[in-house]
Amino acid sequence: MGIPVRITFEQRGDAPRRLSLLVPMGSVVAALVFGAVFLLATGYSPLDTYSNMLSGSFATSRGVTDTLALATVLICTGVAAAFAFQMNVYNIGGEGQLYLGLIGAAWAGISLGEHLPSLVMVPLVLAVGALSGAAWIFVPAWVRSRLGTSEIVSTLLLTYVGASLVEYVIYTPGSYFRNPNTPFPQGRLVAASAKLDPFGDSRLYPTIIVSVVVAVALAWVVRRTEYGYRIKVIADSPKAAQYAGISARRTTMSVMLVSGALAGLGGALLVVGPYGKIEPSIVNLGYGYAGIVIAALARNNLAAIVVSAVLFSGLRVGGEKLQITTDTPIHIGVMLQGAILLFALGGEAFRRYRIRIVRTGVAT
Amino acid sequence: MTDASHEVARGPHHSGGVAPSALSAHRIVKRFPGVLANDEVDFDVRAGEVHTLLGENGAGKSTLAAILCGLYQPDSGHLVRNGVALHLPTPRAGLQHGIAMVHQHFRLVERFTVSENVVLGSRDLDFRLKRGQIDERVAAVAESYGLPIDPTATVGDLSVGQRQRVEIVKALYQGAEILLLDEPTAVLVPDEVEKLFENVHAMTRAGKSIVFISHKLGEVVAISDRVTVLRNGRVTGHVSGKGAADARELARLMVGRDIEMRPQRATHPIGHEVLQIRNLSLALGGVGVLSDVSFNIHEGEMVGIAGVAGNGQRELADTIAGLVTPTGGSIAIAGTMCTGRGPIHSRELGLAYVPEDRLGTGLVPSMSILDNLLLTRERSVLVDRTSLRPEAARLIDQFEIKANGPDHPARKLSGGNAQKVLLARELSGGRTTTKLLVVCSPTRGLDVGAIETVRRLLNDARSAGQAILLVSEDLDEVMSLADRILVLYRGRIVHETPGETASLAAVGAAMAGVLQGVA
Ligand SMILES: Nc1ncnc2c1ncn2[C@@H]1O[C@H](COP(=O)(O)OP(=O)(O)O)[C@@H](O)[C@H]1O
Ligand SMILES: [Mg+2]
Repeated sequence: MGIPVRITFEQRGDAPRRLSLLVPMGSVVAALVFGAVFLLATGYSPLDTYSNMLSGSFATSRGVTDTLALATVLICTGVAAAFAFQMNVYNIGGEGQLYLGLIGAAWAGISLGEHLPSLVMVPLVLAVGALSGAAWIFVPAWVRSRLGTSEIVSTLLLTYVGASLVEYVIYTPGSYFRNPNTPFPQGRLVAASAKLDPFGDSRLYPTIIVSVVVAVALAWVVRRTEYGYRIKVIADSPKAAQYAGISARRTTMSVMLVSGALAGLGGALLVVGPYGKIEPSIVNLGYGYAGIVIAALARNNLAAIVVSAVLFSGLRVGGEKLQITTDTPIHIGVMLQGAILLFALGGEAFRRYRIRIVRTGVAT
Repeated sequence: MTDASHEVARGPHHSGGVAPSALSAHRIVKRFPGVLANDEVDFDVRAGEVHTLLGENGAGKSTLAAILCGLYQPDSGHLVRNGVALHLPTPRAGLQHGIAMVHQHFRLVERFTVSENVVLGSRDLDFRLKRGQIDERVAAVAESYGLPIDPTATVGDLSVGQRQRVEIVKALYQGAEILLLDEPTAVLVPDEVEKLFENVHAMTRAGKSIVFISHKLGEVVAISDRVTVLRNGRVTGHVSGKGAADARELARLMVGRDIEMRPQRATHPIGHEVLQIRNLSLALGGVGVLSDVSFNIHEGEMVGIAGVAGNGQRELADTIAGLVTPTGGSIAIAGTMCTGRGPIHSRELGLAYVPEDRLGTGLVPSMSILDNLLLTRERSVLVDRTSLRPEAARLIDQFEIKANGPDHPARKLSGGNAQKVLLARELSGGRTTTKLLVVCSPTRGLDVGAIETVRRLLNDARSAGQAILLVSEDLDEVMSLADRILVLYRGRIVHETPGETASLAAVGAAMAGVLQGVA
């Protein structure tokens, strides 16, 4: 009858707290081990590769600032995704809302004049960027909350439209957003007052503070305010919301708008920070999609997004530097990101189930 | 503890003395993390008898049954089958010894036919058998115990009662001599219960042993040859002899204290009108659900709505609570119109509502008791949990809710405690003091102890002058609590009678729609 042993999955009554931390960390480790197998198989040394990645991302001051610079926008897109996901609203079009944030912020930065001081201009540019992101999700939000139309399809489709829009405003000759002084397509620079300076000689901008504050503030809103309470009721049981006179329609609408605004803010932070203009290569970077992975890794916990975004950035920055300094293909970094997501999702099983090996005793 | 036993077995074996046990369990102990589910339990069942395991939810009945059929292993103690010690590592081993269990939750494949389900898992199935022959065999087994069932029907199309029959036929087909029926009546309507009992008698006549599990006293008294009562994993009593069991005594053994089972009515004179309903009608999706419903409820009065499920009771409650806007007619609470103005407005007038669906509508499962108390109260922009905490603790105390304090999540409460939290919130007022309480199926699925508490709370609320609308499919409950009974049939009130003088026959007939002038 074979081995008298059986593996069983027992549902846990309540996931122990420590597992909420251990499982994501375990997923990262498992993904690294998984990557090591591939590196070995293709003839690279996993140890060298990983130590190179580490020095490129976390182990040097240059690495740290680069990692945090990337995390600045990823925190925004991560929070955008998680804020909607926690209410079972799947805005997967953060990517497109980010493009619109970029366009909106660039418009504000170019057109709202040289005369405003930085202290007014920067918040204004950020606000316009956020509003643009919200505007981009308005129609999906409206049809979802009124008619129940799937937001997954509508937000995703609008991302492709957004990408075309970015290309249109840059590649069209004579476009308002195009730099008129260069022969090749490039974004027009925003006013100097709309642009921040980096910290020292790093590539990190004070915008990181905005991202972190937004994430923490939003976590607080969800935990402490009436609005957050409503979100939690609707997320758990729409019928209870109806019973208590809480309008799911209005709350869904507002949550989606906030989610879009957060992704838009991510684009605006790029404008006041490193870009200073519309950078058409944005459509190839996938910052919005990365937000989905980051949200999953943080299990939609808004404060934990900060950590998972930094971790994710580190992997990506490390992976990119690997390509510059060694001949390791950049794809190893990309593969690790995918592996982390897969292991994080698989790790849910460990959190929700207790896995036991049972001796079945004498087989009959 | 066996003070209630009468050691005169009046089972079907009259031929001299007591029949030997077909299966017995000795000093069974089974521990789960944090609970002792079975604590030195002794149990036995003889051929041809019905031996009932009675106990409240969580008493350990299902655990003992699982051990008897080989699904769980006891931590200590042993089983004896026909005088021989028995080790059952798996349910299959149990089946080989003629022991089969019909679980509380059926384990059937919906896409398969009845006979496919019945033969599923039979190892000695002869592959040369034709489908028609299998169908015949299954039908023959079913017939011999008076279990009419179409072997070619798809299980997905069957009613709950029919599915249960398939489970029983399956057990019999596999050669079961001892059948463990875990709360078989919980899913059945009264008619089906009667049918099941006939089947049980047919099986015992054929010499099968039945272990019947239940927490409903009436049916236990009706069907059992012997009763073993469990409380908190221990045997607290044992009664033998058909009809020897007394419901009040069993209730005491089960709960551990005396239980109030007498009817309760308003003791105070009733006061002003609190709820006025005029010509209420409701159509959902073009289908009429309520038509021309009018009635009042006064301070200190409880009005019971009786009816078979699906005759508009739930919609009536939802409409009064402001969750549904009626198509016509009006609702006034404490003299103020509130037709179609939403639940918050109705609550501001003094409405409290305990819906039928506790976890998921009345309570938010993932939230704490504290946060659930906030659900129907006024919340400021910054949710103030700190100042509510002492009140939450006081309510947990006052309503005897078993929980580890205000942060205990609602989904981890037992049915009875969830209902108490709901009642605590609704009775304690929020936006204003409660004047009108609408309760739907307040004791459904609860065990005897919790039922008593809930009924006492409703009675206290009535004595305190609240107007109460009691909507319940449990006719006994309506008959024993309400001051006035209205029968709802196809969305109309077809019968009205004072609770005191209500006749079961008249109310029952009205529920079935056989009364004057019903279209
Ligand atoms: N598989 C299990 N794991 C942990 N605890 C369990 C399990 N099964 C039952 N229990 C616990 O054992 C006790 C008895 O449960 P059970 O036998 O199902 O009671 P009953 O059938 O009488 O309602 C309860 O406290 C229950 O929570
Ligand atoms: Mg049970």
